[in-house]
Amino acid sequence: MPEPLHALTGRASRPAQGPVAVVESVRVDIAGTPVLRGLDLRLEAGEVVGLLGPNGSGKSTLLRMLAGLIPPAGGRCRVLGADISADGAAGRAARAAVRTSVTLIGHQPALYPQLELGENLRLVARLTGRDETDATAALESVGLAAATHRRADQCSHGMLRRADLARALLTEPHLLLLDEAHAGLDRDSVHLVQVLTEAVRSRSGACVLVSHERDRLRPMVDRAVELVDGAVVPASVSVP
Amino acid sequence: MTRIDRYLGAATGALVLAGLAAAVSAPPDRLQGELQRLMYVHVPAAWLAYLSFGLTLVGSVAWLRSRQERWDRLAASSAEVGVFFTGLAIALGAIWGKPVWGVWWTWDPRLVTTAVLLFVYLGYLALRRATVDATRRARNSALFGVVGFVQVPVVHFSVLWWRSLHQPPTVLRPGDPTIDHVMLAALVVNVVAFSAVFTVFLRMRMRLARDEAELAAATEAPGRPVAGSAVTAPAAQVAAVTRQMDQREG
Amino acid sequence: MSRAVGAGEQVRALVGLQLALERRTGEALLVVAPFGAVALLLLPMAVGTDVPLLRQVGPGFYWLVVLLFGVMLTVRHSAEDGPGPRALLAQCGVDPVARALARVVADAVLLLAFQLLLAPVAVALYDPRIPGWPALLLVLPLVAVGLAALGALAGAVSAGVPGRAVLGPLLVVPLAVPLLLGATQVIEAAKYARAPWPWLVLMGLAGLLALLATVLTARALEEAG
Repeated sequence: MPEPLHALTGRASRPAQGPVAVVESVRVDIAGTPVLRGLDLRLEAGEVVGLLGPNGSGKSTLLRMLAGLIPPAGGRCRVLGADISADGAAGRAARAAVRTSVTLIGHQPALYPQLELGENLRLVARLTGRDETDATAALESVGLAAATHRRADQCSHGMLRRADLARALLTEPHLLLLDEAHAGLDRDSVHLVQVLTEAVRSRSGACVLVSHERDRLRPMVDRAVELVDGAVVPASVSVP
Repeated sequence: MTRIDRYLGAATGALVLAGLAAAVSAPPDRLQGELQRLMYVHVPAAWLAYLSFGLTLVGSVAWLRSRQERWDRLAASSAEVGVFFTGLAIALGAIWGKPVWGVWWTWDPRLVTTAVLLFVYLGYLALRRATVDATRRARNSALFGVVGFVQVPVVHFSVLWWRSLHQPPTVLRPGDPTIDHVMLAALVVNVVAFSAVFTVFLRMRMRLARDEAELAAATEAPGRPVAGSAVTAPAAQVAAVTRQMDQREG
Repeated sequence: MSRAVGAGEQVRALVGLQLALERRTGEALLVVAPFGAVALLLLPMAVGTDVPLLRQVGPGFYWLVVLLFGVMLTVRHSAEDGPGPRALLAQCGVDPVARALARVVADAVLLLAFQLLLAPVAVALYDPRIPGWPALLLVLPLVAVGLAALGALAGAVSAGVPGRAVLGPLLVVPLAVPLLLGATQVIEAAKYARAPWPWLVLMGLAGLLALLATVLTARALEEAG
C-alpha cells in the first residue's frame, strides 16, 4: 500500500545543525550503465561548492540525485536529514520530501513553455503554498517585470535562466543546485546567482555550482571538487 | 544444449507422436464425424493460451517484487509464445466453426474474450518493443501485464452478459464428463504433448532473450565501466579520423 | 513563508491549469471533436444511408466514435508531459498520484465535453429513438471517467516512448470493451423495458479498476521516467 498523500507532500525540515548533504560510496545507474560510482561528498551548512568535470562525467546526474529526482542504486545519501537512498516506499517518501526543499536549476528551464512567465511562477507559488504576490516580486527582482506576460516559449535562453533563478528566489531552498552556472548568464545574472547563494548561505543551507569556467567560478565558491569517471577528486581551483 | 534439453526434446517428440496417434485412432463424433478431431488441437492450443498469459502474470508480479531479470524474460517469452498459441486456437476454432456452425466467427463470450486477450498481449509486446531502456521496459510492461490480466475477467464478464451462444463447459464440470472416455484420454495426451511443445518453445525463447540481453550489454559498453567514458578527449578522435582519411587517400 | 499544500489543492491547481491551457489552445477538443463528427458522417456512407437502419445502428456508431476518438484525446502528448513541466512539478513536490488524478479529472472533463459536442451531431444524422435517455446522464460521465483512467494508465506506461500516439490506443481499446458494451446496452435494455443498473454497475467497476491501477502505479512509474 502506498502512503497517504499528505505524508509525501510535507517538506523536509532543515536539521538544526550538521551537514546539508552526506554522500557515501553512492552509485547511480542510468539505463543500466553506471554514471556515478563510489562517489563521496559532504556539503556543510553555509557552504558554496564548485563542481567541475569534463562532459559526461556525471555532474548533472549528481545534481539530479541530490535533488531527489533519481534514486541511487547503491551507497548511502542523506540530504537535509532525509535518507534518500533508502529502499522502497521509505526512500520514495524521503526523495519526495527533499524535492520541496532543494531547488535544481538545470540545463532545461523547469517551466511550462505554453504559460506566461508570471503564470509559471504563480503556479510554483500555489503548488508550494506561497503567496502569489511573491511570484510577481520574484520576477521583478530578477529584472523580468516587463516580461511577466510573455509566454515561456517566446523567451530567450537567458530570460528563461533568469526566470528559473526567480523560481529559486521564490522557493527559498536549503540546497541550491545550479547546473552550468555560467551558461546563458550575463554579468547581471551572475550577480544574481551570488545574491541567491548568499541567501541560501544565510539560511544555513548549501549550494553546488557546476561550471566549466574555473576562473569565473573561483570568486563564487568556498571550495571546488572535480568529477572524474563518476567519482569525486579534489579540484585545482584554489580559493583564497 | 544441456542434458535436460535433450531429454525434454526426445520426450516432446514422443508425446507429439502419441498425441497424433491418439487423435487419429479415437472414435469419430456421432454428430460432427471426423471434423470433431480438430478438438485435439484446438483445445490444447486454447489451454496453452491461458497458461502462457498466466505465466506472464506470474513473471510480471515476480519481477515487480524481486527486480530479477529472469522474471522479466519469463513474462516476455511467455507472452510471445502465448500470442502464437492464442492465434492458433482462434484460427483452428474458426476452421472448426465454419462447417459446424456455418460461420467462421460467432459472438460468443469465450471467443470474444480470447480475441481481446490476444490484442491485450499484442499491445504488451508492442510496448516492450517500443521501450528502449531495459529496466523501464521491464517495469512498464510488468505493470501493464498485471493490469491487463486483471481487466480481462471484467471484459469476459461483460461479454458473457452481452451474449451467450457457445456450448456449456463439457470437461471441466462436476460429475462424470459428458465426453466419451476414449476421446477424453486422447485429448489429455494431446494437452500434455502441446504443453511439452510449449515448454520447449518457452525455454528456447528465454535463452534467446538472455543472449539478446548479453549481446546488447556487450555492444553497448565494451570494457566501459562508467557512462562518462563514452566521451573521450576530442583531440585523439580528430587525430584518428584524420589518420583514417589519410590512409584512404593514400 | 510557505504553508503545507494538501494533495487535494495540488489536484485542483493542476486540473485548473490543464483546462485553462485547453481553453487557450483548444489543441485537444478542437481537433478531435471535428474528426469524430466527420467519422459520424462517413459511417453511413459505408453501410448505406437507409433511415430505419441508421436509426437502429446510430447509437452504436456514436459510442464507437466516442471510444476510438476519445482514446486519441486521452493518450495525446499533453502540456505536462514535456521535460520543463515535469521538472517544475517534481520540484514543487507534486505527488505523482496527485498528477495522475489531475490528468484523469481533466481528461474526463474534456471527454464529457467531446461526448456532448458529438451527441447533437449523431442525433441530427441518425435520428435515433432513445428510450430511457435519462440513464445517459449517468452513462456519459461513467464512459468519460473510465476512458480517462485507462488513457492515463496507457499514457503513463508509454511515457517517452516513440510512437506513443499509435501505441496508446492499442493498449487502451481492448480493455475498454466493458465501457462500450455498457454504454450501448443501457439503451438496448431500455428498449426491452429492462433495468439498466447491471450495465451501469459494470461500467463503474471497469472505471474503478482502471482508476485504481492508475493511482497504484503512479509512484512506481514516476521515477522510471
